[in-house]
Amino acid sequence: MKRLKIISFVVFLMIAAVIIIGRSIKATYEKTSIDENDKSLNSEHDSILLHVNILDVNNIIDKNARFKNTAKYFSNRAYEGAPPTVPHEVEGTQIGGKACLKCHETGGYVDKFKANAPIVPHPNFENCIQCHVPVNTKNEFKDSNWELVTNKSSSEITNQALLTSPPVIPHTITKTDDCLSCHSGLGIKKVRVTHPERTNCRQCHVPKYTQKDEQDEFIRKPLVNN
Amino acid sequence: MPIKSYIAYPVDGKRNELIMKIKALDSCELNLAINEEIFIVVTDTFSEDEDKMIYETIVNMPELKHLTLVSGFSDEEISN
Amino acid sequence: MFTQNLNRRVFVKKMATSAAVVSAVSLFPGIVFAEEQQVNLTEDNLNWKKAPCRFCGVGCGLLIGISNGKAVAVKGDPRSSVNKGLACVKGYHSVMALYGKDRLKKPLVKKNGVFVETSMKEALDLVASKMSETIKNHGKDAVSIYGSGQWAIPDGYIASKLFKGCIGTNNIEANARLCMASAVTGFMTSFGMDEPMGCYEDIDYANVFVLWGNNMAEMHPVLFSRMLDQRQKRGIKIIDFATRTTRTSNAADKSILFKPQTDLAVANAICYEIIKNNWVNKNFVETNCKFQKGKTNIGHGLTDDFKFKDEPEQIDFDAFKVFLEDYIPEKVEKYSGVAARDIKYMAALYGDPNKKVVSFWCMGPNQHTRGTWMNNLIYNIHLLTGKISSPGNSPFSLTGQPSACGTAREVGTFTHKLPKGLVANEKDRAFAAKIWGVPVENIPDKPTHHTMSMFRALDRGEIKFMWIQVTNPMVTIPNLNRYRKGAEKEGRFIVVSDVYPTPTTDVADVILPSAMWIEKTGLFGNSERRTQFWEQMLTPPGEAMDDGKQLLEVAERLGYGKYFQYSKENYAEEVYNEYTQFHAGKKHGMAPLEVLKKEAGMIWPFVDGKPTKWRFNSKYDPACEKEGFHFYGNEDGKAVIWQRPYEAPAESPDSEYPFWLNTGRVVEHWHTGSMTRRISVLHKAVPNSYVELNPEEAKELGIKNRDRVRITSRRGTIVMLASVNERGVPPRGQVFVPFFDEHFLINELTLDSYCPISNEPDYKKCAVKIEKV
Repeated sequence: MKRLKIISFVVFLMIAAVIIIGRSIKATYEKTSIDENDKSLNSEHDSILLHVNILDVNNIIDKNARFKNTAKYFSNRAYEGAPPTVPHEVEGTQIGGKACLKCHETGGYVDKFKANAPIVPHPNFENCIQCHVPVNTKNEFKDSNWELVTNKSSSEITNQALLTSPPVIPHTITKTDDCLSCHSGLGIKKVRVTHPERTNCRQCHVPKYTQKDEQDEFIRKPLVNN
Repeated sequence: MPIKSYIAYPVDGKRNELIMKIKALDSCELNLAINEEIFIVVTDTFSEDEDKMIYETIVNMPELKHLTLVSGFSDEEISN
Repeated sequence: MFTQNLNRRVFVKKMATSAAVVSAVSLFPGIVFAEEQQVNLTEDNLNWKKAPCRFCGVGCGLLIGISNGKAVAVKGDPRSSVNKGLACVKGYHSVMALYGKDRLKKPLVKKNGVFVETSMKEALDLVASKMSETIKNHGKDAVSIYGSGQWAIPDGYIASKLFKGCIGTNNIEANARLCMASAVTGFMTSFGMDEPMGCYEDIDYANVFVLWGNNMAEMHPVLFSRMLDQRQKRGIKIIDFATRTTRTSNAADKSILFKPQTDLAVANAICYEIIKNNWVNKNFVETNCKFQKGKTNIGHGLTDDFKFKDEPEQIDFDAFKVFLEDYIPEKVEKYSGVAARDIKYMAALYGDPNKKVVSFWCMGPNQHTRGTWMNNLIYNIHLLTGKISSPGNSPFSLTGQPSACGTAREVGTFTHKLPKGLVANEKDRAFAAKIWGVPVENIPDKPTHHTMSMFRALDRGEIKFMWIQVTNPMVTIPNLNRYRKGAEKEGRFIVVSDVYPTPTTDVADVILPSAMWIEKTGLFGNSERRTQFWEQMLTPPGEAMDDGKQLLEVAERLGYGKYFQYSKENYAEEVYNEYTQFHAGKKHGMAPLEVLKKEAGMIWPFVDGKPTKWRFNSKYDPACEKEGFHFYGNEDGKAVIWQRPYEAPAESPDSEYPFWLNTGRVVEHWHTGSMTRRISVLHKAVPNSYVELNPEEAKELGIKNRDRVRITSRRGTIVMLASVNERGVPPRGQVFVPFFDEHFLINELTLDSYCPISNEPDYKKCAVKIEKV
């Protein structure tokens, strides 16, 4: 019995040592490693979890103000997933940051514009003007043959395998997406989610797209050759 | 199997009802203007008779102020 | 059969819809339809392919969504370590630049002052016959080619081989002379080898960023965002050292303004402080550095017969210290406008042994009549403190064009350069001739004209034939009035290869429509030595043909076909394989195609299957022949700390022309806007150029925002809209004008003075006066 106690104590010490050493190795690795790229910008993790503020979305919107529909979604985007232009006046001397986040971090009704401000899906990016530019003229420099091409299924919810199964994600996902930005009360009316409190969207909803050129289709060899 | 397109002018304040009613018809597709009241109706029918019927149905809706035919394609034109 | 019929019905329905849309638009102008122009597509035919961005030198990896033979969407490539999935507004909308309605699709030949359409075959015949006629009548040096840092690597390589190796003239230049030449001469004089030693990953390790005259928030937004991201996580510091207040200044932790040209003095004052406070990394300096001085009072290249050759002289540390006595912060404060405490603050940041510092710069120090010196001075600071060639310690010269490094600098599309080495060196010529398979005596041993000299020679008539590819000099050349008149003179023959009509195609005798970016297979090289490959994704419109192929066709017609035995379909890849022979080895080896096809670009030197992220440091660079640091670009393995004084610019404000004129870009537009202005989103954001005025001075002159203002220099005059308290705010005595707008050619006002060592013009300083119209 005594021996058992000693053994278990030694085992405990060993485990503790392994954990402590492991942690410190990991910490130093994180600090000094030069091969490890910063993953924070690298993944699409933003679109799995969202900032908590969205949860009380229904309390901050003005239900009488206009809501977005898919047409509105495309009215200031060049294509699905393109950064939208800014439909209101902006001051030019700043890169955005707090000036934009004041309204767009939480979203909700803004009296100045008599509209519901959409929630920014990526409040961690401060350099707003990098991607979002205002509209200062209606005219074109020269006409273009550019066409807006959309995936029809992204505006129609007909992408369930079974009647009860969770729909797949019919559109592409970029790193700047946050599901509830579009799928909550402040987003597009037609695709509003019934369960905004469940924040781990991709637990049930998987993208329909795959990187086409990434790999060949997986085909298992038959067990028996006929 | 003709295909025709129209511009529909709803009665003031009745736009949504009109859209709902036309949407309910099988062989109609709608294309809505987002900054004007009007919208486009495209009918795709199996026969000349059905085409006429559908035209009558839409034209007689009380929510409709006016319906203008813009273009039409007959069977031959489509299959050529 | 059934599906065919079904598709036909869908098509007819779409036609019926668009007919209705058209008539609705005539009834209600400005009407917008929900489903307008929306083409349905099934997810199966949306295909994402990788390509580096077409625009700036950051070289973001993009994924282009292709559907039914058209580019329809863009996203940032999450696998690219450059941008990690993010792009900027230009990148996101880049593919729209392919679809402008006025895209050039047929060759045009000027006949009696009017452009007439012709076939590609006839146009190329004409170009070739004009070339050989000119060579026959006026000699080889009467023909020239002017390309750009937007040439894909194969295009620039073919141009160099054709002109230097076959025709036998060194009349090849690229617009990179106007933006990167000082960076190159800076590297060459300090390290004996071009291009940054570090890479973008330095951003993840540095504690302090000093931006030297670089509005990164607008010009290199993706890198700026990486810095901001680090600031949120690690609390790094960003110091904006600039001549005007920009979005970058507002986002930085500290904004320090200096008077134009005095950056030379401030950099020396920082060195003075570093030495005075014993912040010098003595061990590093003793083993790895030597001290030199060059000529002074070196002029500004304003006359056609200007010539300069620097004569470096060895000095020692003590002599350098004595020289710096002139740059005591309190003295420099008087003419630089930078408070002595700010100079000391910057010196302290560089001097702190516990801080890793990255210096970023681009056009500020480069487009500078002492551009080479300015580059040298920034290296001085990093060399004195030993903060170089290690993660987070990096003097980093940024580029403005997608392949300024990859093509212009590495292929060497300059009059004095070969893909490896200089035309003046017999060994380098022999090496090039061997790979090119041409007789070595073909390659002339004397450089001819750098860019400004080339346009002057065109004006004087020594050059009769100029082929301009992928660039728009009739917007970008300083003192434009003179050089436009020169190009239009009788007896000059100008060929322009481009994708849209521009002020340059206006002066052309033949316009060749070019295939653009993802309409061909190509490679770019970005600022961090990263080579990126993309494959052709789209068919070019009409008869448009890639620039490289145009050159190959003309080479064939000139009888040089035997030197260009590439297959028609796959020439880009074959050319790249030939080209990489030049750089083989540990110091500059390039990644092979099969790696580039798989990865989102690869940094050279690529040694044993691995990129060399930090050069000259034996820890990371296998080319080092000794432990620690080894600056192997110079024969003795040492980097040079240069004694470079402050000297006045060619033109300064006076009582007649009291304002400094500074020119530059905005985030929305890229270079001359020939592509970005055809992108609806970008044009609508900034539809025209403007002149930024200091708010107080605008008030004194009675000028309000959007008023019309006349700007006049000794060389030209222009009327444009005022911008007061909008995007950027210049200090008193300065105005700023973006140069992208072909309707307001600000370069008619700028001065064609240049750095005598790099021959790069100074677009940032000349004197103007301002009047309200």
